[in-house]
Amino acid sequence: MNTGVVIWRCSGCGAAVFPQRLLCAHCHGQDFAEDRVTEGVVEEISVIRHMIGQASWQPRRIANVRTTGGPSITVGLRDESGPGTVVELFQEEGAPYGRAKGG
Amino acid sequence: MSSAAIIGVGQSAYTRRPAPGQSTHTFIRDAVVAALEDAELDARDVQGMAVASFSLAPDTAVDLAWKLGLSLRWLLQDTNGGSSAMNMLGHALRGVEAGAAEVILVVGGDATGLAGYGKIASNYNIATRDHLAPLGHGGPNGVYALVAWRQMKTYGLEKSDYGRLAIAQRGWAAKNPFAVYRAPLTMEEYLAAPMVADPLSRYDCVPVVAGAQAIVIANPDRAPRGRAPVRVRAHRASFNYDNQEGDGLHTGISTFAADLWKAAGVAPGDIDLASIYDDYPTMVLAQLDDLGMIADHDLARFCRRDVGERRFPLNTWGGMMSAGQPGGPAGGLNGIAEAVLQLQRRAGERQVANARLAVATGYGMTMYRYGGTAAAAILERVG
Repeated sequence: MNTGVVIWRCSGCGAAVFPQRLLCAHCHGQDFAEDRVTEGVVEEISVIRHMIGQASWQPRRIANVRTTGGPSITVGLRDESGPGTVVELFQEEGAPYGRAKGG
Repeated sequence: MSSAAIIGVGQSAYTRRPAPGQSTHTFIRDAVVAALEDAELDARDVQGMAVASFSLAPDTAVDLAWKLGLSLRWLLQDTNGGSSAMNMLGHALRGVEAGAAEVILVVGGDATGLAGYGKIASNYNIATRDHLAPLGHGGPNGVYALVAWRQMKTYGLEKSDYGRLAIAQRGWAAKNPFAVYRAPLTMEEYLAAPMVADPLSRYDCVPVVAGAQAIVIANPDRAPRGRAPVRVRAHRASFNYDNQEGDGLHTGISTFAADLWKAAGVAPGDIDLASIYDDYPTMVLAQLDDLGMIADHDLARFCRRDVGERRFPLNTWGGMMSAGQPGGPAGGLNGIAEAVLQLQRRAGERQVANARLAVATGYGMTMYRYGGTAAAAILERVG
């Protein structure tokens, strides 16, 4: 587990993106620097109760999170955080997750 | 420049579970045969073909031409999912108009099976494979669940508002012998349905089926005797309209709607029926709003009055939500084909009286947070 989620920031105009891009959509610069967002606010949540093609499936929670200083990203929620909760972000094998800050 | 029109449509049977021996290829064959028969053309008349499918691989378009025995001078394979059909329509029209081919067959189909669809949903693109699928995001259901919550908050929608769309479309599907779900749906049943990805329940999620759909584009003079060809007054498309930086409550249609209506020389109020790509009720409303077809952007009133009271013919074949989604590409062709049948007054029990103008859309390719492709056309009965 890595603390925070790696995002990319355009070296030309500062625009933050996730996932990684090839050119900046705003200034079309090609240089990006890695950055890391460590927290955000949960905006919407869904509980995935069924996955097509999967007979045995354990429900899991995903959320749209507006990151502090970065873009909105989709994360897996590892607790019962609700909309409006400030969550700390972490990453497992490239996928972003969140849980209530200080929880 | 020649002129071009849609002169024939045809589809395969749709089924939730393909029988042994049935495949994407056989469903496509069935649709092709049906469309050519409908257009009263021989396979030797076909000079061009456009195809889209999530499950044709490792074959490509030329392999399909080979297996169908079609020697062509115009060939296209499209990869834009739910807007593939509309995209292929635009290219095919221009192909005929430019003289590249006199008759172009546009076909889409899939027979992934449920497990196969699950694999596609988890490997839709690199962003999905690396950043969404590991979360167990549920494929597009999870993505559009989050968009649905945003739409409900933004527009004051209730869950039952989506139900009105599903129920109205099921009413149309009852009159469509090809639809996989034709039994009436009540609001009680809709609200009691098991949740799939909150707030989306069973009837909010398009059912995956196996099947294929085809249409034939040619000079209107090639239309069968006594049948009105259908021309496209205007066609527009959009790809990656906002770099996934918005909220998904608008689609690429918002970038071209004004230009589409202007080019067509008609207004939203002139439209007799609409075929709106319906992978989810949420996105039906978003597309209609982008088209300027929801007065005052009041989505709730539109659901409760225009749809709930059956004031506007929307997805008159039952939509994919009741007729089934044979992959996004063929699903988009369904809406175009239905508009053609309606404008040619061949829609049987579901015929909209005196239909002359229709709008059809496509929407798809869930890149990360919502779809990145969209297209629309205004179709008109000729004569």
